[in-house]
Amino acid sequence: MKKKVLLMGASGSGKTSMRSMIFSNNPASLTSRLGATIDVEQNHVRFLGDLILNLWDCGGQDAFMDSYLSTQRSTIFSHAGVMIYVFDVESREMAKDLEYYRDCLDGLSQFSKDASVFLLVHKMDLVREGERSAVFQRKAAELDKASGDFPVKVLGTSIYDETLYKAWSSIVNTLIPNARNLNTHLRIFAEACSAMEVILFERATFLVIATSSSSDASDSVVTHSLDPKRYERTSELIKAFKQSCSRLREEFHSLEMELAEFTAVLDEMTKNTYVLVVVHNPVVETAAIKMNIRMARKKFEELQGDTLIS
Amino acid sequence: LAKPQQKNDPLHRSKILLLGTRRFIERTISSRAIIEHDYRSGKTSILQVLFKNLPSKQTFYLEPTMRVTKHPYDTLIPLEIWDCPGNITVDTLGAPLSEFASIVFVIDIRDLYQQPVVKLVEFIVAACQVNPNINLEVFVHKAEKLQEDDKIENFRQIHERVMDRLVDESPEYEQVPLNFHLTSVYDYTLQEAFSRVIHKLIDSLPYLENLLNVFCSNTSSPKAFLFDTTSKLYVATDASPVDQATHNLCCDYLQMLNSFGPLYKSNAPPQADTPDSAKPSTKAPFYPSASTSLSPSQPVTLTYHLVTPHLALVASLPTPVFEMRRGLVEWNVVWFREGVREIWEVEKERSEGELV
Ligand SMILES: Nc1nc2c(ncn2[C@@H]2O[C@H](COP(=O)(O)OP(=O)(O)OP(=O)(O)O)[C@@H](O)[C@H]2O)c(=O)[nH]1
Ligand SMILES: Nc1nc2c(ncn2[C@@H]2O[C@H](COP(=O)(O)OP(=O)(O)O)[C@@H](O)[C@H]2O)c(=O)[nH]1
Ligand SMILES: [Mg+2]
Repeated sequence: MKKKVLLMGASGSGKTSMRSMIFSNNPASLTSRLGATIDVEQNHVRFLGDLILNLWDCGGQDAFMDSYLSTQRSTIFSHAGVMIYVFDVESREMAKDLEYYRDCLDGLSQFSKDASVFLLVHKMDLVREGERSAVFQRKAAELDKASGDFPVKVLGTSIYDETLYKAWSSIVNTLIPNARNLNTHLRIFAEACSAMEVILFERATFLVIATSSSSDASDSVVTHSLDPKRYERTSELIKAFKQSCSRLREEFHSLEMELAEFTAVLDEMTKNTYVLVVVHNPVVETAAIKMNIRMARKKFEELQGDTLIS
Repeated sequence: LAKPQQKNDPLHRSKILLLGTRRFIERTISSRAIIEHDYRSGKTSILQVLFKNLPSKQTFYLEPTMRVTKHPYDTLIPLEIWDCPGNITVDTLGAPLSEFASIVFVIDIRDLYQQPVVKLVEFIVAACQVNPNINLEVFVHKAEKLQEDDKIENFRQIHERVMDRLVDESPEYEQVPLNFHLTSVYDYTLQEAFSRVIHKLIDSLPYLENLLNVFCSNTSSPKAFLFDTTSKLYVATDASPVDQATHNLCCDYLQMLNSFGPLYKSNAPPQADTPDSAKPSTKAPFYPSASTSLSPSQPVTLTYHLVTPHLALVASLPTPVFEMRRGLVEWNVVWFREGVREIWEVEKERSEGELV
């Protein structure tokens, strides 16, 4: 299965930086070395084994934008599954950014009217922590207004914290047709392990693709009142650690923890996924969790095969 | 004996003085406006990053230090680190230099002017007169700002200027043991350099190193550290040389484990009917531990074992040893923990005992 993902926005807004962190495992510190993208850089990335994301990183300089909107119009906007439009929160040319954005939205509705649209208010780290939510609200209202009737999702992001992972997890989740099904099975698996929570990650990106906890209020996790940022923080932590391993030419393989707060195992689930099993019951040992993971592998390989067929 | 005393302190803390300069380069832009370039050296940043878990990027928002502030920190030995404003002098410090076990002088690596050197030498001369055993350290700081070649060149120049100036004072100062380190809050060079600063203050260091050496030889571990978990300073390591890449990886590992704990911590009230809460008093003490396996091709496992509330043994082990001879590893950890706890008790008695 192949999906075209458009990555658009003004030059310097941070598109290539994000892409290189999520899909090429570059650390944030190296993004300042990226040059401006010339025209469109196309990349095929494999996600969950069988899903091919065809990423179109569209250089944002005016000359390129003008050509996307005119001569290249049908090439750019047809067959798109998702458009991600990036706005630099500190942009000094918001009026111009919005104008280009509206033109792109027109192009998209003309050629791919069913595409989902994500708007990222990016570089949120540049806003002082206390002002972040107010600044975001204001930007989101402005972008909603500019989008007219087109349904869009606005997210605040920064390459320096977990918001990057939260946004991209929700983007790729719109591309996995049967992810819900995985949630149900993770819930059953969690019960079998006496786990408080089980989370499934895509192997290459470490983006969250399913969790055992549902969003309804009766869920046990709500009564445990865990950190609401835990999924994307976990992605961020593991990605960072994987990078430090690769700097030593080592490769991260698995993690076991028996901490004061909980016991957990992070290990390969299928060829393309990792699973994190978190247990609060101190009687459960990591060896037992590992055994359960081993026994669930086959089932999850099958499920994952079904997930991508819609 | 080399350590100075202070009578009214309930704990005998080893004092470390952090010094630096604050200079403004003034540049007139128009006839009225003046732009001030700030070369604060980075002392407060160093303290906050090491001991208060401040993310390095946020040091940007720190306000200039206006008066001397003392930061106590308890690791294997109790420390007290003094953060001083940039304009401090020997006379305005408010304490005799004889009270300090170490002086750490922080210089911005881009600051090649004479002023910090003059000030550093002034303090060295004054310190050596009252306390010949004092440890003197120079952090050539914000090193990540420069490319590799410039970094080495500026480091060399700062080193040379300090030594020249010292010899100008008197030829005998050529012998003063002065240690230079390249540091930055954006990587673990800071933790490495500060670890070396505190090693000189730990009297029991040889015993700890011996325990680590024995652990390594019993478990075929190529490298083991005893880390202070929050600051990520290592209080001791085995005899094999510290390679920067391994040290970085261990620090990243600690960082990850520190962050994981609170993430999945349950805030729910403990349920009264769980089987083990019925008889908590008989439970053996619980020591958190973790392991991560790397490189399936040439397998290595990084282990983590808490040995005191704040110190952890972090070792790299061949995965086959960790997996097939787990019992042996655990037994050596228990033995190591006993050893460290004994030393820890002695250090505690020593620092509390000197009160009377
Ligand atoms: N502070 C901050 N800087 C960021 C962030 N994301 C990216 N940057 C910086 O923004 C600059 C431009 O990033 P790029 O990714 O090259 O921008 P682009 O959108 O691909 O630009 P074009 O290819 O010209 O369209 C780089 O120096 C990044 O380091 C962020 O979240 N916060
Ligand atoms: N690039 C860089 N900047 C640093 C580093 N350490 C501190 N700084 C910056 O230097 C400035 C002054 O730091 P501060 O700790 O307040 O200096 P102090 O007056 O000596 O205590 C701050 O803006 C910090 O962000 C470092 O290692 N690298
Ligand atoms: Mg680009």
